[in-house]
Amino acid sequence: MDKSFAAIAATAFFLFSQAAWAGSTPAPANAHLYIGYPNDGQVVPAGKPFRVWFGLRNMGVAPKDVKFPNTGHHHLLIDTELPPFDQEIPSDKNHLHFGAGETETQLELPPGKHTLQLLMGDDRHIPHNPPIYSKKITITVK
Amino acid sequence: MLRKMSLAAWLMAMWGIAPAMAERTPSPPNAEAYIIWPADGTVIQGGKFWVRMGLRNMGVCPKGVKLPNVGHHHLLVDTDLPPLGEPIPSDRNHLHFGAGETEARLELPPGKHTLQMLLGDSDHVPHDPPVYSKKISIIVR
Repeated sequence: MDKSFAAIAATAFFLFSQAAWAGSTPAPANAHLYIGYPNDGQVVPAGKPFRVWFGLRNMGVAPKDVKFPNTGHHHLLIDTELPPFDQEIPSDKNHLHFGAGETETQLELPPGKHTLQLLMGDDRHIPHNPPIYSKKITITVK
Repeated sequence: MLRKMSLAAWLMAMWGIAPAMAERTPSPPNAEAYIIWPADGTVIQGGKFWVRMGLRNMGVCPKGVKLPNVGHHHLLVDTDLPPLGEPIPSDRNHLHFGAGETEARLELPPGKHTLQMLLGDSDHVPHDPPVYSKKISIIVR
């Protein structure tokens, strides 16, 4: 009851204030995004690519430009903070887009500490409401 | 090349009609479906678990959407691959993930079970060539 009231309140807030704190595509409240591999704190060997698994529960994957309820596509944030939730996720070497519906990738990073975090984007690359992102993990390449 | 030829021959033999082949959605030649978890031979206590469905060199897309190099997951439970030229059946042995899901919550009774993934196109028909995983066995206790 409280939850649905909060949802209505949040929706009303969004509609009336045209608030810029989240995108307009709804996401399931229980959607869970996580990095299946590598693990937080993991050391991966330098000089060769490693695989990153995108884990997603209670939500589906759809390529960019596809409007389908409760779906989005993966974005992998490397060595950066979460971008603003009300705009298109940037596309550069710190923000990798997987607009073809990919659910894993291969990365090769220079030696040192790096952070990885996943963020779902809707058909237009804008985060959902609520935004669906994973825990940020730290790995070491050496 | 030989593999392609024999697959084509097999398909022709199976349906005896060439046009059916032309209608199937092509898959990238290096596409690979695999079950990330559980591993083959895993023993699961309690019977409730998540299956993580892995896909390489291809993308996931909900049913009904026609785009190149995508498909949606189907999980075959305790059954063999269905005929590959027609829509994948939808029943408790053939689970569809038409909303683009990449993980499946399963609950299975105690005993030995098999799991295998099979990609379907926008119309639930396997691709050409078909993209399916190795069939694994698990034990539920």
